[in-house]
Amino acid sequence: MQPRITAKVICTDREVGEVSYVIADPIAKSVSHLVIKADGRESVVAIDGLIAGCTEREVRLTCASGALAAASAPFRRDDFVTIHDVEIPHLERNLDQVTPGGVLVPLPVLEKDLSRRQFFTRFTNVIGAMLALPLVFPVVRYLIYPLYQPFTNLWIKLGAINAMGQEPGVPKLFKFQKTVLEGYITRHYEKSHWVIKLTPELRDKIYPNGDHEFRDDKGTLIWVNKKDADIAVLSGKCTHLGCAFRWRKHKRFGQVFVCPCHLSVFDPSGTVLDGPAPRRLDVLPLKISGSGEVEIIDMEFKAGKAEQVRIA
Amino acid sequence: MFEAVYRWIDERIDLKGLQAKMLNEPMAGGARYAYVFGSALLFIFIMQAVTGLLLMFYYAPTADHAWESTKYIIEKVDFGWFILSYHLWGSSAMVAVLIMHISQVYLWGAYKKPREMVWLAGLLLFLIVIGFGFTGYLLPWDQRSYWATVIGIEIVDKAPILGDFLGRFLRGGPVPGAQTLSRFFVIHIMILPAALMAVAGLHIFLFRKAGPAGPFRGTTKELKEKMEYFFPTQVWKDIVVMGLVFVIVCTLAVRWPHEMLEEASPVASGLNPEPEWYFLFLFQLLRDPALAFLFSGEFGEFLGAILLPTLFLLLLAALPFIDRSPERNIFKRPIALTSWVVVMTSIVILTVRAIMFRE
Repeated sequence: MQPRITAKVICTDREVGEVSYVIADPIAKSVSHLVIKADGRESVVAIDGLIAGCTEREVRLTCASGALAAASAPFRRDDFVTIHDVEIPHLERNLDQVTPGGVLVPLPVLEKDLSRRQFFTRFTNVIGAMLALPLVFPVVRYLIYPLYQPFTNLWIKLGAINAMGQEPGVPKLFKFQKTVLEGYITRHYEKSHWVIKLTPELRDKIYPNGDHEFRDDKGTLIWVNKKDADIAVLSGKCTHLGCAFRWRKHKRFGQVFVCPCHLSVFDPSGTVLDGPAPRRLDVLPLKISGSGEVEIIDMEFKAGKAEQVRIA
Repeated sequence: MFEAVYRWIDERIDLKGLQAKMLNEPMAGGARYAYVFGSALLFIFIMQAVTGLLLMFYYAPTADHAWESTKYIIEKVDFGWFILSYHLWGSSAMVAVLIMHISQVYLWGAYKKPREMVWLAGLLLFLIVIGFGFTGYLLPWDQRSYWATVIGIEIVDKAPILGDFLGRFLRGGPVPGAQTLSRFFVIHIMILPAALMAVAGLHIFLFRKAGPAGPFRGTTKELKEKMEYFFPTQVWKDIVVMGLVFVIVCTLAVRWPHEMLEEASPVASGLNPEPEWYFLFLFQLLRDPALAFLFSGEFGEFLGAILLPTLFLLLLAALPFIDRSPERNIFKRPIALTSWVVVMTSIVILTVRAIMFRE
C-alpha cells in the first residue's frame, strides 16, 4: 500500500471533493485543469481564474459548488498521459509546486555537496589532462612530419642544349622526367619548363643586377646563374596561382606568355605586362656541362606573393 | 568562463538533467573494482580509434605500398613507431580486458534474467573485437601478416555450405592478394568500427535499462544500505583503471616496439607462422600431438577449427536461457564455477604448450 497525496477542493459554499490529478497545459507549462474526485466520481474542470487560494491541504475556488458542477466534465483517464510518457522540456521547473503522487529518491552526491562534486569533476579532468597532454607533442610532431622537409637541391637533366630551340627570344616548352620520393613512394612524372635562348635585351631584363645568386634561408650560396649564359630556364608555373601558362599571340601585346586561368600576361623575359600576377616569372638554377648537357634545380616558389618564397 | 558556457547550454537543453541522468545511476552494494572492465574496454577502443586514425594519415592500403608505408611510419615519421606500437599493444590489451570482462560478468551471473540481451549484445561485441584483430593483422603486409591471413581464411573456407563463398568473399578472389588487403582495410576501418559503435551503444543502453547486477552476496537490505551512485565512486575507480591501462600499454609500446618482418611473399621463408597470442590456444588445439587422435585429418580439423568453436559460442549465447536459476553467487553454482575453471585452465595450458613447442 502506498500513500497518495491529495488536497481538498473547497468552493465558496462547501467542500466539494479532493484533487486526484493536476492537468498541465504542455505549451503554457502551467496548471490548466484539476481533476476533482467526489462521491467516487472524477470530473475535470478548467481552473483558469477560479483559484482564490492554495495551500498544501486545500484549494479554495472563487465559485459556488453549483457553478463548478456546471463547468465540469466527466474525467476520462484515457484522454491523458503522465509526464513520464511525454517529453515536455522544462516542465518541472515551471510546476515545482505540484507533485501529483510525487515519488522521491535520496539525493545523490552529484547534487548534494557542490564542493565535493566540483572536486571530483576537477580531479577527473586533471587525470584526463595528465593522460592527454603528454600525447599532444608526439601527435603534433607525427602529423606535421612531412610538412617542412628540407630542400634537396638535386640537379635534373633537361636535355642537350642543341635540342632546346635555336631562335633567340622565342621560348620553347621543354618536357622532362622528374623523380621524387614522396614519403615512401618514389614517383616519376613529366614536368615542363620554358627554355629561352637569350638576347642582350633579355639578359638585361632577366638579370638586371648581373650574375644571379641562389641562396638558402641561412644565406648559404647554392648556385650562381651566369648572366652571359646562352639560355635561361623560366618556371612553367604562373606566379599568380600556379597554373601552367602558354606562348600565344595576344591582341595587344603580340607574341607573349598568356596564362589561361586568370589571363596574366608576361613578355619573353618573364616580366609581367598585364593581369593579376604579383611578380615576374621565376628563373631556375641552370648548369650547362662541357658536352652541352643542360641541367636545372627544379625549385618551386609560392604563387600569389610579390616576394619570391621558395617551397620546394 | 567554462561555467558560463555550461550555464548557457544548460538553460537551453537541460544539460544538468542529462548529466544527472547519466551519472546518478544507483548501484546496489556500492562501487567495486570488479565492475571497471566495461569502462576500461571503452577507453581502449577510443585509444585504438585515435591511434588508428593517426596511422591512416600515412598508411597506404594497397599491396604495392602497404609494407613501405608501414615502414615509413615506424622508421621515419616522428613518433610513428610509438603510435603504431601503441595501436598493436592496445589490441592485445583489448582482448585481455575483454576476457576479464566476460569472466567477471559470467562469474557474477550477470547474464541471467533480466540481462539476457545485454549478454547477447556483449557476445556480438566479442565477435567484432575478434574481427578487428583478424583484419588488422594483415594491414602491415609483412610475412607474418600474410601467412596468418592465408591460414585464417583457409580455415573459414572449410566451414560447411558457406565456407567457399565466405573464403572468396574475404579474399576478394580465389587466392589472397591485393583485393584481400582492400577488403580487410574497409572492414577494419569502416564496417567494424560502425558495428562496434552501434552494438556498444545498444549494449550500454540495455545495461542501463536493466541496471547493474551488483554483488552476488548480501541481503537486499545490506545492499540497499551500501548503495552508491555511479558518480563519483565508480567513476573514480574507472578512471584509475583507465589510467593504469594507458600507462601499461605505453610502457609495452616503448619497451617492446613493433618490428616488421620482410614484405609479404608467397615464397617459402624461414618464418614459422603463428597467430596472435589470443589465438594460440586454438592453434595448439589443432596441432598438439596429445590431441591428434581428435583433431587430425580433415574431419578432425573441421571439428577443432570450426565445429567446436562454433558450438562453444552457441553455448555461451544459450547460457542465459539454459541457466534459469536466479542464484548469482558463484560459490553456489558449482557447474558454472567448474566450467569456467576448466575452460580457462585448458586455454592457458594450450597457450603455454603452443609457446613451449615452438620450433
